[in-house]
Amino acid sequence: MAAVTLPIGCLSQAALATPSGKHIALEISSDGDLLAFKPDQLSCPAGAAVHLTFHHTGKYVSQDHDWVLTRPGAAEAVAQAALEASEKSGWTPAKDPRVLAATTPCGKGQHVSVDFTAPPPGDYPFLCTTAGHGAVMHGVLHVTPG
Amino acid sequence: MSRLVACLHLLAAAVGLCLIMPVLAAEPQSPDMVKTGLHILAGIYGDMDRKLTAEQYDRLPHENQEFQEGSGALRDAVAHDPAAFKDKVEAALKDCLAAAQKVADESKSHDKSKVSAALASLATSMKALNALFPAALRSEPGTVDPPWVKHQK
Repeated sequence: MAAVTLPIGCLSQAALATPSGKHIALEISSDGDLLAFKPDQLSCPAGAAVHLTFHHTGKYVSQDHDWVLTRPGAAEAVAQAALEASEKSGWTPAKDPRVLAATTPCGKGQHVSVDFTAPPPGDYPFLCTTAGHGAVMHGVLHVTPG
Repeated sequence: MSRLVACLHLLAAAVGLCLIMPVLAAEPQSPDMVKTGLHILAGIYGDMDRKLTAEQYDRLPHENQEFQEGSGALRDAVAHDPAAFKDKVEAALKDCLAAAQKVADESKSHDKSKVSAALASLATSMKALNALFPAALRSEPGTVDPPWVKHQK
């Protein structure tokens, strides 16, 4: 199990200045070996301290998955960046300014976690950035007013 | 006499139906597992297609490996089906696996037309595999991946 905490400098100052003080635990998994998240919709209040755990429930296929939260409207570009990046380029979601939070990749039967502060209210897309997966393995984090 | 003829016709129809049903329906014992197994393979096919579009040739052998592994889901799904049906599935699956291997082999050439042809051949094999199952369970290659995100652009 790996945990990643990303800097949240990309979030608005309002969100940082008025944290809700709430702690939220979110659980999400792959849909078995299918390229899909289950569930593909999550929600949390703005400013909450979120601890998200992603479970890779695949049984057959040796493919890595991760869980990556992006700015609204940025998911497609992030998925494309992941698809076009070669292993040599060193692109990782955590280094991309369009990314708000990201777990490390994990293999079947494993789980990974990430801690982050929920951004301001809105709908934030999340996806798997394993090359090619983001086009179909995605969902939305609905952030409600704290 | 006419009643006897009618009975014989009914009997013939019933026998004919019994003979043809396995061919037409081929309803597997574990339809949900079959549906998932076919979906897994179609999903990996879609991933291969995206890698080809992005000209990520070096990643295609790994997709082939995933395809070979993913076939285990379909084998498990038909494990309790009649032997004759399992044999048909296994034969079709072998064609698919050989075609997927061909995609991996051709990817080493970095020749888009060769890889595209291999991928088209894989799609043909997968359609034949899908045809063994009822329409409701099928995942035809190229149909699993909808255009990007229903939620956000």
